[in-house]
Amino acid sequence: MLTRIADDQFSIDAESAPFAQALADHLRVSGAWLDVVPGINSVVVQFDAGRTKADDAERLIDVAYADFEYRPTDDGPLIEIPVRYGGEDGPDLEPLCADLGISKTEFIEQHTGQAYPVEMVGFTPGFAFIGGLPTSLHAPRRSAPRQQVPAGSVAVADSRTGLYALASPGGWNLVGRTDMTLFDPHGEDPFPISPGMRVRFVAR
Amino acid sequence: MIEVIKPGTLTTIQSRPRLGLRHRGVPSGGAADPLSLALANRLVGNQWDAPALEATLIGPVLKFTKDCSVAIAGGATASLLNGDDVNRHATINVRAGDTLSVGVIRAGARCYIAFSGGLDVPEVLGSASTNLQAEFGGYKGRALAANDELVARGGVVEPCETPDKFRLTPSSSIALRTCESPETDLLSETSHASLFSGNWLVDQRADRMGIRLGGETLTVRSDGRMPSAAVFPGTVQCPEDGAPYLLGVDAGTVGGYPRVAQVARLDRHLLGQLRPGDRVRFVKMAPDEALQALRGKQDYWREWLPDIDAII
Repeated sequence: MLTRIADDQFSIDAESAPFAQALADHLRVSGAWLDVVPGINSVVVQFDAGRTKADDAERLIDVAYADFEYRPTDDGPLIEIPVRYGGEDGPDLEPLCADLGISKTEFIEQHTGQAYPVEMVGFTPGFAFIGGLPTSLHAPRRSAPRQQVPAGSVAVADSRTGLYALASPGGWNLVGRTDMTLFDPHGEDPFPISPGMRVRFVAR
Repeated sequence: MIEVIKPGTLTTIQSRPRLGLRHRGVPSGGAADPLSLALANRLVGNQWDAPALEATLIGPVLKFTKDCSVAIAGGATASLLNGDDVNRHATINVRAGDTLSVGVIRAGARCYIAFSGGLDVPEVLGSASTNLQAEFGGYKGRALAANDELVARGGVVEPCETPDKFRLTPSSSIALRTCESPETDLLSETSHASLFSGNWLVDQRADRMGIRLGGETLTVRSDGRMPSAAVFPGTVQCPEDGAPYLLGVDAGTVGGYPRVAQVARLDRHLLGQLRPGDRVRFVKMAPDEALQALRGKQDYWREWLPDIDAII
């Protein structure tokens, strides 16, 4: 479904985060949009309202949507992310394990036990939303967000693991930290982690 | 060369926004008030988006070691060149050895100081604008500090003045033309009415990321688990505590709070001039009406700023 947002945006419903990513990639090459931004269950297209009529933008989106075919894939490139779990690097790991009724070792075994899909990048440059967390590790966000979460923090909330590419405020449960560079504006590839990739966490 | 004697409260180099990178988490950024950036650059013969200084609340003190042309636009200042008043709406030609004191911004939140030829800084991810949070762009990815040295690419230019009809005077009470958003209907009926009729107060927490609005609170039907979705400069989010948050140019690119309104494109440049204590009203407008008003506003400005379609 297509919904108008204000004068210069359209929102399109998406059945899942990977669907939203694929649709956004498809739309991005279908017109001269200012930005095409996938979310967890939607894609928002911002068009250049000073130069493009809303009707024309809507028609372009409709046409592009009509020839969009979603093919789920689970064979994206796999990268390993080294993580130091617990202690100062993951101050929430201990209380979280107490809430979940498991030991730290069990948490780490489960968290490192499979590859996860990168569902979305956003919020701050390079912040990665990684899906597929086992139900046994699901926990709500912290009731009060932290003012400052260190860069490289690995955190969990609900069904996802989040990677804080930059120091920023944040409400997810911090379970560890990686030294891997997750955003490098001056690098050849500023965004080493992209949606569609798979990641495996490795305990250090 | 330009030597920074005093940096002011928060002075950064800003240029055009970074477009097309929101899906990577990179906010558009750029000048918080791009119209004022363009007006300053116009007076020194630059393209509208030549890298310039964006000063916040208190401007910098700069010493010049080479002749060049300078202009100040945006928030109202009483700037001094070697202790003498300068005309805010005209080109200022400075000589080597001169000191420009931009001073306190008395109305509005930000002023722009443009230099002939623009400031010489590299582009990163498609723009020279500073991203403070991720520490890249502009001057080493940070706000200016005392003793920093800037380079203007140009020399002295033919002076000119902004015509009267294009001079902006920031006001402490601003009306923003605003449209409904995907989660507007999560507001209670009373809250919907107060969002669009209230006189909102700009809180102390007002920066390039966003502005917290006080004076009233809204009631929003939300369980705090909305799936993250795209947000933009001018999005009004309403967290569960009911205090609306108006997103700025450096805000995160996705958010999980209900989006209850979206400032229309034509008035987004005004967000850059909101300062703590100012009053804001959201004037509800239908999307097509807002689009038509945008065209009208662009037509008005085109005579003085030919690139207006890219500016607002």
